[in-house]
Amino acid sequence: MHNGSTRRRALSSVALIALVAGACQPAAPRLASPGTSAGGATPQSPPAGSSAAPATGAIPQGGTLSIAWASDLQHLDPAVMYDTVGISAVRTMFEAPLSYDLTSTKLVPLLATALPLISADGKTYTLTFRTGVKFVNEDGTVLREMTADDVVYSLNRVLDPNLKPTPSPVASAFFGNIVGAADVIGGKAKTASGIKMIDASTVEIDLVNADATFSNILATTFASVVPKEVAGEDTAAFDAKPVGTGPYLLKSYTKGQQATFVANKSYWRAGQPYLNEIDFKVGVDDNAAIQQIEAGTLDLMGDTLPSGSFTQITTDPATKDQVVHHGLVDTQYLWMDTAQPDSGPLSKVAVRQAIEYAIDKDNILKIVHGAGTRAECIFPTDLPAFDPACHPYSFDVPKAKQMLTDAGYSDGFRTTLYTDTTDPDPKVAAALQQDLAAIGITADVVTQSFDTFLTTIQTPHAAPMGYVGWYQDYPDPSDFIDPILSCASAVKGGANQAWYCNKQVDAQAAAARGEVDSSKRLSEYQAIQNQIMTDAPWVPLYFQEHYTLVGKRVGGFTIHPVYLYSLRDVYIKPGS
Amino acid sequence: MTFDVHVVHDDPEVAPARRGSRAWRVLRRNPTFWFGATGVVCIVAAALFAPIITPHDPNIAFRREGLTAAGDPVGPSALFPLGTDELGRDYLSRLLHGARTSLTVGIVANFLATAIGLAVGSIAAFARTPRLRFGMVRGRSLEIPIPVENILMRTTDAVLSFPVLLLAIALVAIVGPSLGLVIVVIAAVLWTSTARIIHSRVVVIREADFIEAARAVGVAPIRILIRHILPHLVPIVAVYATLGIASTVLFEATLSFLGVGVPVPAASWGGMIFEHIGYYKSDPRVVVLPGLAIMLTILSFNLLGDALADAFDPFHWR
Repeated sequence: MHNGSTRRRALSSVALIALVAGACQPAAPRLASPGTSAGGATPQSPPAGSSAAPATGAIPQGGTLSIAWASDLQHLDPAVMYDTVGISAVRTMFEAPLSYDLTSTKLVPLLATALPLISADGKTYTLTFRTGVKFVNEDGTVLREMTADDVVYSLNRVLDPNLKPTPSPVASAFFGNIVGAADVIGGKAKTASGIKMIDASTVEIDLVNADATFSNILATTFASVVPKEVAGEDTAAFDAKPVGTGPYLLKSYTKGQQATFVANKSYWRAGQPYLNEIDFKVGVDDNAAIQQIEAGTLDLMGDTLPSGSFTQITTDPATKDQVVHHGLVDTQYLWMDTAQPDSGPLSKVAVRQAIEYAIDKDNILKIVHGAGTRAECIFPTDLPAFDPACHPYSFDVPKAKQMLTDAGYSDGFRTTLYTDTTDPDPKVAAALQQDLAAIGITADVVTQSFDTFLTTIQTPHAAPMGYVGWYQDYPDPSDFIDPILSCASAVKGGANQAWYCNKQVDAQAAAARGEVDSSKRLSEYQAIQNQIMTDAPWVPLYFQEHYTLVGKRVGGFTIHPVYLYSLRDVYIKPGS
Repeated sequence: MTFDVHVVHDDPEVAPARRGSRAWRVLRRNPTFWFGATGVVCIVAAALFAPIITPHDPNIAFRREGLTAAGDPVGPSALFPLGTDELGRDYLSRLLHGARTSLTVGIVANFLATAIGLAVGSIAAFARTPRLRFGMVRGRSLEIPIPVENILMRTTDAVLSFPVLLLAIALVAIVGPSLGLVIVVIAAVLWTSTARIIHSRVVVIREADFIEAARAVGVAPIRILIRHILPHLVPIVAVYATLGIASTVLFEATLSFLGVGVPVPAASWGGMIFEHIGYYKSDPRVVVLPGLAIMLTILSFNLLGDALADAFDPFHWR
């Protein structure tokens, strides 16, 4: 799961969340509205990475692109990679059966020739794969052609409990619904009986229960196809020597400094890759990155614009045309421990509802420079199931005070509010502290480094309140309920910071997840959302928007709702 | 600074007082003293009267007037003489209250550090290696030497060799930030230099004739230490305590800048720089002002300390 900021989403402790159903993947920004990317940066959109092959000649080729990140790469093995920096790198080297359209969450085939054929009962998915797709070694030589057998191997590999040093964080969350997957995860079988090779280019996948989101799972980087003879159980070895089917190859990687990716000359798709080389510079301070982009020595930065220079960059005529921003499919929220030990004040629903009325969300949005949209409920605006009618609470301090008094806390109480050090999180926490003080609640703010913060929020009842964000793994409302607001996720190492557990909501969510009729399904999720908002485990604050500065010579840059930066679609403008 | 022990200790009961008046004559003529003293008085006054002279509550965010439409701090105006911070709080009020934090930490932590340093240094030098006597065993007295001086001074060396900042950060990370902890942490690491200096002074003084004389007439050791040695340490303690405040203020600012100092929402100069470092280009005011406050405070205390050191230096008396 991810927290409050888009900057430090790299999770060193992802293994801890392996148990959580559908634990979240790093920042998954979404397209806010057509044309949100600023003019100068995308003069000419290249074809979607996953749609029909581009008209060659339209896209300039060659050049070296450099991108800076504050955090280092954690993994390059797609079976275990679960962080923001990694996803951009992995998608240059690896490909999954399906993908999303360049700027939307419309599913398109990538290694498959078409979207899967789904049986009438929703339990059997049949995929046909392209021929002529090649695995290419680091030195540029062709390993061999990819076959359906590799797809079967790759999916089983994600389920493998013997992956070293840790198994995939999403094995059961994403792939546990495949027939026989539980046996593989439990170590009782080597391969799942539900993953079958029909012929050299066809794979059939059987599910235990119908699941409307399974096609999305096949578009995650975890479903990337890897060659059996190179990718073994040692993920660290594969991290160091990744071999895939993608447009770029890892040339070198110096931990903490730089990873260099070079063009795969044997890439299966005509006209790609566009660039000769992509340089990932890691451990770069945001302010330094901005300076380098302005000076033209850097092309992209992975992180969102820091507070201090936000207004300057977005309004200065010299830089404002280079700013690209998109909403993220995410919710930033204040959680409250609904199961606070010793019948603490936050365990009372009336107290939590009072706090819902006490938070000045417009002020919070203002201090983050308007980089987002005000949140009333759980599902963000660009998630299916977003409900504009959901508006259960308003900002009303006298009412909040009255409710707190009625709940027996006329003198308020003292509590602790946790946040992490990443800008602008401490600022938001300070604003929340003031809002709570206005109704008599004294909240001591504890600001922790991101890693420590993760440990705190995954420890039962260690943090009565806090500020955090959740970013989608795939565009489906189930990803905003099962991993963070279900009873199963209210466990040590889980991502349910509110320790919220409502059996009725759990039952509704299980039913909604399996529902095949999509409109019925969405209305079921809206009902779930209403129930949760009444129980008030969270005060939803805002849906974050990712702002970044793009170098002048970069073309084809967009921010994707799921993948964040799609570097395989970026090119260097001619003459620069 | 050299100390002419024989001059100083001709008359131990009178010398310190006389030295004080001589020191004042030197100080009066020293412009450095007046610069330093004026600065210190201003800062102390700002800290003492902060609640009275500040235009606003330092922790109140002015959500409409205090922030621009884009969510940035506003510049100086009639309402906010030095503008606001990133949450819309009055910057002048926060700076003045920051003086309270800095001086509270500076004075309290430094007092503790000086007290510890004075105790450790003087006891180590004066006690040396006492022998504990356990009566007679087979006609001989059993004496066990306790190397007090060695134990205390080697401990001092050990603490002195810690990477101070890392130690402080680790302690704060374990216990959690609070004003009290910042004070304790600073005192716990800064007493060592005082202990070293005091120790070296007492080593000289303990050999003086008047100490020998006091021993000879049977004055109890503890009385010798308090009545005859400590008065001679007053000048050196005054100088190092004053200089120490400067380094303590800087240390507190460093801790707060690293995010392990005084917890929010309390104003602290280091914390204010930390919170606004990203504004260094777009609005340098929010970084420069607390930086200036730190600089002026440290400069004032350093000037005062230097002037005191000069005044207590025997060579200046002539």
